[in-house]
Amino acid sequence: MERSEVRSLYLLAVFLACAYTVPFLVGAWAGTVRFDERWLGNLATVVVAGVMQGGVYAMFALGLTLIFGVMRIINAAHGEMVMMGAYLTWVCFFYLGVDPLLSMVLTLPVAFLFGVAVQKLLLNAVVGQPELTALLITFGLGLTMIYTAELIFTTDFRAIPYAPGTVHLTRTIAVGQNKVISFVLAVVISTAVYLFLKLSRLGKAVRATALNAEVAMVCGVDVRRIYLITTGFGAALAAAGGALVSIQFGFNPETGVVYTLQAFAIIVLGGRGNYMGALIGGLMLAVLENLVSLMVPNGTAVVELAAYGLMIFVLLIRPGGLMGVKEG
Amino acid sequence: MDGCSFAVPRGKISGLIGPNGSGKTTTFNLLTGLATPDSGEVIYRGENLAGLKPYQIFRKGVTRTFQVTRIFREMTVLENMLSVTGLDVPDRVARERAAELIAFVNLTHLRAEYGGRLSYGQQKLLEFARALMTDPDLILLDEPAAGVNRTLLQHLLDHIHRLEERGKTILIVEHDMGVIMNHCERIFVLDGGVKVAEGPPAEIQRDERVLEAYFGRRRVAGRTGGRRGAGAPPSEASEI
Amino acid sequence: MTRGEHLRNLALLGTSAIALAILPHALSVYLRSFALFTMMYVVLALAWNIVSGFTGYTSFGHVAFYGIGAYASAILTADYGWHWLPTLGVGAVLAAAVGAVIGYPVLRLKGPYFAIAMLGTAEGTRVIATVWDSLTHGGLGISFPSAENSLETYDAMLTLMLVTIVVAYVVGHSRFGIRLNAIREDEVAAEALGINATLYKLAAFVLSAVFPAVAGGIQAYKVLYIDPPSVFFVQITIAMALMAMLGGKGTVIGPILGAVLLYTAQELTWVNFPTAHLIAYGLFIVLVARFMPRGLVGFAIDRGWVRKGMVH
Repeated sequence: MERSEVRSLYLLAVFLACAYTVPFLVGAWAGTVRFDERWLGNLATVVVAGVMQGGVYAMFALGLTLIFGVMRIINAAHGEMVMMGAYLTWVCFFYLGVDPLLSMVLTLPVAFLFGVAVQKLLLNAVVGQPELTALLITFGLGLTMIYTAELIFTTDFRAIPYAPGTVHLTRTIAVGQNKVISFVLAVVISTAVYLFLKLSRLGKAVRATALNAEVAMVCGVDVRRIYLITTGFGAALAAAGGALVSIQFGFNPETGVVYTLQAFAIIVLGGRGNYMGALIGGLMLAVLENLVSLMVPNGTAVVELAAYGLMIFVLLIRPGGLMGVKEG
Repeated sequence: MDGCSFAVPRGKISGLIGPNGSGKTTTFNLLTGLATPDSGEVIYRGENLAGLKPYQIFRKGVTRTFQVTRIFREMTVLENMLSVTGLDVPDRVARERAAELIAFVNLTHLRAEYGGRLSYGQQKLLEFARALMTDPDLILLDEPAAGVNRTLLQHLLDHIHRLEERGKTILIVEHDMGVIMNHCERIFVLDGGVKVAEGPPAEIQRDERVLEAYFGRRRVAGRTGGRRGAGAPPSEASEI
Repeated sequence: MTRGEHLRNLALLGTSAIALAILPHALSVYLRSFALFTMMYVVLALAWNIVSGFTGYTSFGHVAFYGIGAYASAILTADYGWHWLPTLGVGAVLAAAVGAVIGYPVLRLKGPYFAIAMLGTAEGTRVIATVWDSLTHGGLGISFPSAENSLETYDAMLTLMLVTIVVAYVVGHSRFGIRLNAIREDEVAAEALGINATLYKLAAFVLSAVFPAVAGGIQAYKVLYIDPPSVFFVQITIAMALMAMLGGKGTVIGPILGAVLLYTAQELTWVNFPTAHLIAYGLFIVLVARFMPRGLVGFAIDRGWVRKGMVH
């Protein structure tokens, strides 16, 4: 790396370190921080929960970074695809009586096909064009999805009661069983996708297209088909995220918007197109969010600010993110 | 670039040549502020331009064209011409000047057409005309002959000579040896970021280092290479 | 454009202005409102176009300035007893300042990163407005002392629209506008031609921040109540972008056309299909972006009905 790249990396690291101390400082000032064993146990639990959630975030951020990395398209409807996954799982659970985890066998392929359809009908034509076009298209798509969901399901919050027990990792740290299961599954799925991209022929074609589509074309890769597959995977990963979210949190048609933003923040932090970056970014964001909601008064509204703030400062300090090349 | 140093004579046409990757365009970038040197200076009229931003260097009277044309594709030819700054003249005068230059490169009938719709040769001409809007004193031309037909090229070269007569300094990067050897007074040769030779055309044509730069070090062991043409260096058969 | 053409356009604008000034007296309160909001969207679309259409730096967060203007107006009127007109000036200055401060770092980002950063800025502003309740009353919102102001606000919005049109026109047909376009086309080449891109971008950005702020202030007074979700509504940014794009980014008449058409279509569908209209809106966005990215004016240019370029 050149000098300026190394410098921006250090600057980013310093900023991140400061970002993590901010909740503590605010909490100390507001009196929500107590240094006793019980509170520390609480803190540890929150951090661990953050890591678990982070795994799920990382998984659907992986979908977004795939799409961005291969086609330079920002999928503003990604959060809505997560929401779609959640609703599909819910439908399978309440109307077909299928276990939410098992229903992924059904919902993921459906999401995959949805992604392929979106790519074929809407996005293939605009891959080379300025990013505003794709952004508007996906934004419109997201809006349509939200309102259609509202029409079908109303704006009531839904949730799936599943694995309600808690797992005690140590004497003081206890996390919900559903969180642990989600985390494990997220890791499994992400690893599977990662290995697929790294090792399989199709995966290599995807990566080649991401690096340079023209060259890939000349080497015999059917670039259009790769685009379809990429968006399909992206949508499937999002839907998987939705399934895992549905067993942890409540959701309604509008919750997708926050997920889109979180996914953006994660890929900016981790570096667009970088899979390891998506993982690291996901973990870091989730932990930061949990710290904020624990220690900052008015935590829940400010949690969003954590994602925005993180994203904007990373964009200003080092747009390429932690793992990406220095850009901009 | 690696410790390269040369002085371009004012008011004359000079050439900058060298094999691919020798640093010719990089030199232009350093001279116009698109790249910043880690060390060294760019002296123009007694001032050091190194480290200045491109728009500042432009305002001092230095313009350039690009190897691959960078005209504004979704803007008309006229708009391309008028986008130039630093003119400090009323609109009407600027338009007249633009019209003159457009006419000079025979693009008047296309002045309301988008730059992107022009042919490659026409785009090169547009870029050339655009660079002349401010009547700059130092003009850097990056491969002006590439993709241009012979008639137009002659037209261009005539204009370049007229600019020289008016006291402008011109530095041309080219691969077309005809253009370089027949029109430049002084030639600088780069290879691998280093200046390997400089001098008038006649000298350069005979210079061994130049030939080496372009064609590689000649092999020994009896191979004399069989090169014809003026200035072929003596064979090194004596080394056997 | 020749002088004659400029004069013709000016005459057109003048007559429309007079017609629009007389209009409200003949309209019902509802239609007056409708006209006001249509004009507001013309302002928003034109302002957005100054930065995003001309320089190509697509801002997805301009609603932040709209919200700032709305809050400036609301806070000063409701909490400090100002008369609402000067609050518009404060809003404008505030938005310009914020625009300069935010614009300087953010305009260094390229394409999609700039868009996302602006989106984040807008949403961040919304969250700040929600959380900083000592100033903004947070989620409770701010109510204006009630007043019958439909005529006042109409006139204000009309004036704003006329000013915005004139400014956009002057920018679009001047060498300043050409240089903004040059930045969009090829920033590096533009710099090599003497254009101080940073300065020009920032100027366009700040200019584009002022008009939405004033519009926000007027709208707040009209509706007499604001809260963070209503003024920092991301749909507003989308509407700005969509209208400019529908009409034709980078032109002057484009955003005007786009705003009028889209807002009217939106109102008509809302009135007739209350539930489905939002879905239709979403679909409409998709279709326009997919099939008409160069907008109506672009379409007309391609057909040869309108001349290419802005300066002739």
